[in-house]
Amino acid sequence: MPYPVISYELLYHIVSFLGIILATWIVARVLSTLLGKLLKGVAPLVAVHARRLVWIFIWLLGVLFALEQLGLRIDVLLLLVGLLGAALLIASKEVLQNFASKYFSDVYIPFKVGDTIKVREYSGKVIEINPMSTILITDKEEVVSIPNSIFIRETVVNITPQVWKELIVPILISGEIDLAEFESDVLKSCNKLKLHLDERFPPILTVKNREAKSTELVLTLMIKEPDRKDAIISEINSKVAEIIERMQRKKK
Amino acid sequence: MWIYEVAIQIGSSISSNNSNIEGEIPILFGLAALLTIEGDCDHIMAAIECLRSHLHLAWQRCKKISALKICVNTQTPLVRFNLPKEELEQKHKELSRPLDLSSLGEGGDFQFTPGGVTRMVFPLLKRMLSDGIVEDAHWVSLNPTGPEKATVDRITLYHVSLEAEKMKGYGYIKEAIWKVIHGIPQKLESASQVLWQDEFSDYTYYNRLSAERIIWLDKEIDFDVFYIHDFQQLPVGHMLHTLKPKVFRWHIPFDESMIPPEWRQFLSTYFSNYDAIIVSCKKYLEALKSLGYTGKAHYVYPYIDPSSYVKPTESELAEYCRSFGIRDDDRVVLVVARLDPMKGQDRVIKAVASVVKDISNVKLILVGDGSFSSSKQGVGLSKAERWLNDLRILVKRLGIEDHVVFAGHLSQSQLNAAYERADLTVLPSIREGFGLVVIESWIYRKPTIVTSRAGIAELIEEGGNGLLFDPDDLLILAEKISELLTNPERARTLGENGFITSKRCLIDRGVKDESKVILELM
Repeated sequence: MPYPVISYELLYHIVSFLGIILATWIVARVLSTLLGKLLKGVAPLVAVHARRLVWIFIWLLGVLFALEQLGLRIDVLLLLVGLLGAALLIASKEVLQNFASKYFSDVYIPFKVGDTIKVREYSGKVIEINPMSTILITDKEEVVSIPNSIFIRETVVNITPQVWKELIVPILISGEIDLAEFESDVLKSCNKLKLHLDERFPPILTVKNREAKSTELVLTLMIKEPDRKDAIISEINSKVAEIIERMQRKKK
Repeated sequence: MWIYEVAIQIGSSISSNNSNIEGEIPILFGLAALLTIEGDCDHIMAAIECLRSHLHLAWQRCKKISALKICVNTQTPLVRFNLPKEELEQKHKELSRPLDLSSLGEGGDFQFTPGGVTRMVFPLLKRMLSDGIVEDAHWVSLNPTGPEKATVDRITLYHVSLEAEKMKGYGYIKEAIWKVIHGIPQKLESASQVLWQDEFSDYTYYNRLSAERIIWLDKEIDFDVFYIHDFQQLPVGHMLHTLKPKVFRWHIPFDESMIPPEWRQFLSTYFSNYDAIIVSCKKYLEALKSLGYTGKAHYVYPYIDPSSYVKPTESELAEYCRSFGIRDDDRVVLVVARLDPMKGQDRVIKAVASVVKDISNVKLILVGDGSFSSSKQGVGLSKAERWLNDLRILVKRLGIEDHVVFAGHLSQSQLNAAYERADLTVLPSIREGFGLVVIESWIYRKPTIVTSRAGIAELIEEGGNGLLFDPDDLLILAEKISELLTNPERARTLGENGFITSKRCLIDRGVKDESKVILELM
């Protein structure tokens, strides 16, 4: 009895199919790992779900292209996937709104963890700002979770005392820079702006995070007049950049 | 029977690592009592034995849990070296690394730094080590001429150095802060003047160096608690950037009425970084709370180790008297304090000038030289030299050169002789955080006259265990000195009662109270 003959064309399609599946697996792993590293600072649950979504998405694409190699028509499948995606987007509208609002509120809405704010009928101390919501503790020690999208739509009042005076300048320096020297030079630079700053509150440099290669700092100043805020930030940033450059040159 | 079985079960769970000792030991006791009541004699002894062995295991685990790794930070170093590093190495060619002080000569190569902070912290650490409360002690301080690392009595010392220019700036600011807290008027005293000077960045720089050293050590050693001392090191708590417990001890006076309002913000900003603050007496505690500090606040009276204050030998006493020209019939008034205007030596000199008119054989012995801040090996401020000069001029002007002796720094044995020979001691400070010299004096059963502006004043019962005076009222001081010199019975009674009071400020009590504060945070 003769053996069944597999044509080269069929063999090519099978190999392509397997190749695409393998490539899909590799890409899914690599992208998932990269995403995990990128989302290191994010809440673990969010990171896990994001990785899972990416994994599913890449596998979906990979399987569809692989099936195409076997001669299956994927137009209908692609259409179904598209509709599924659209349905998912509509269903997660609120979630996405909150994510987007978190980005805007970071940049445009001046409150931070530790401030006391009032929004709608709620007021309390901000204890957490995550991608979905901002958590407050009220005077009655109730925990209130406010979706971030509210902050884009509603008026928010920051009732923290003297918050309008507070200027927080984030600074990132490399691990090679001597922190004590840097701090000394920064404070001396701030002394020159004393005229515009509240003298009762000398500038303070606080270490936020320390790693071998870099140190995250925050310089806190209290200004006298809010309309000079941008000018002061600009001047401080420029001074800090000069100091960093000078210290790096000295190291070399 | 079933009670016995239950007792065994609970006893077994105590010896496991996951047990709740506090909850289960009382239950075991209760069960043992029940067994006794039931008359189940056969099992009583077995149950008691079970209880005993499990309690022993629980105690072992408690001891292990309590052995801490502590990092202490003070400005004043434990020791001052009399030779620069290079000369020390030249002299002792086989120096160990790190430098072991037991291989050097006390008095020749180094001396223990005088001053209340080191005299308290050193015995505290030694006692905590010997009692097993601490298993590893590390002490970071400023010592520009000392070696980077040294060891003494199982304590590792780390010395931070500062270049001359920054040392000057640091010294200037810390003196300014010291004067503000003590209510001394000065040219620049508002926070906005002092804290915005470039010299303030030198003060911050020194604190950052201390904090960086501690952080670096912490990576290696993994401390359980950080114990920061006094206003010179106040910003360190903020700079440590750790959630591990940080305790701050405030040694100088803390009188709310003396601290200008604009300084309170500066202080409370840094206080808030500590998990617990210890002050030296009750009234300072009230002041701290009124400043708005909401963390754990405690007062612990400063203390001394009485074993260092022994009766001098006859020859030590004779040598001391000979060295300072003290005759047998001299009536000795002793003041032990560093040379600083705040310590009020001028006041007692003026009072003695008045006493001399009636009691011609009175002799005032002024023990003490500059502090670490004044020493060339230290911060290098010239305050002590200037003050000594001023005092000498005053003595000459009053014509009592024959009645005043500037004894300078004394070794421990000489100090013991000084207390033993004294008829009374005076603490004349204009402001004083506490006044440990009074306790030292009471150990020798000597009557004391104490300024009403010292923390220790709250332990004085007027006419009971001591006498109080307002440092601005020199007439009263002179009267009280005369009274004690002419009424030996009264002097003796005050001394005896003072000796009883001194027990509240001895190291046993101090270690217990300080350990309690630290362990509460664990």
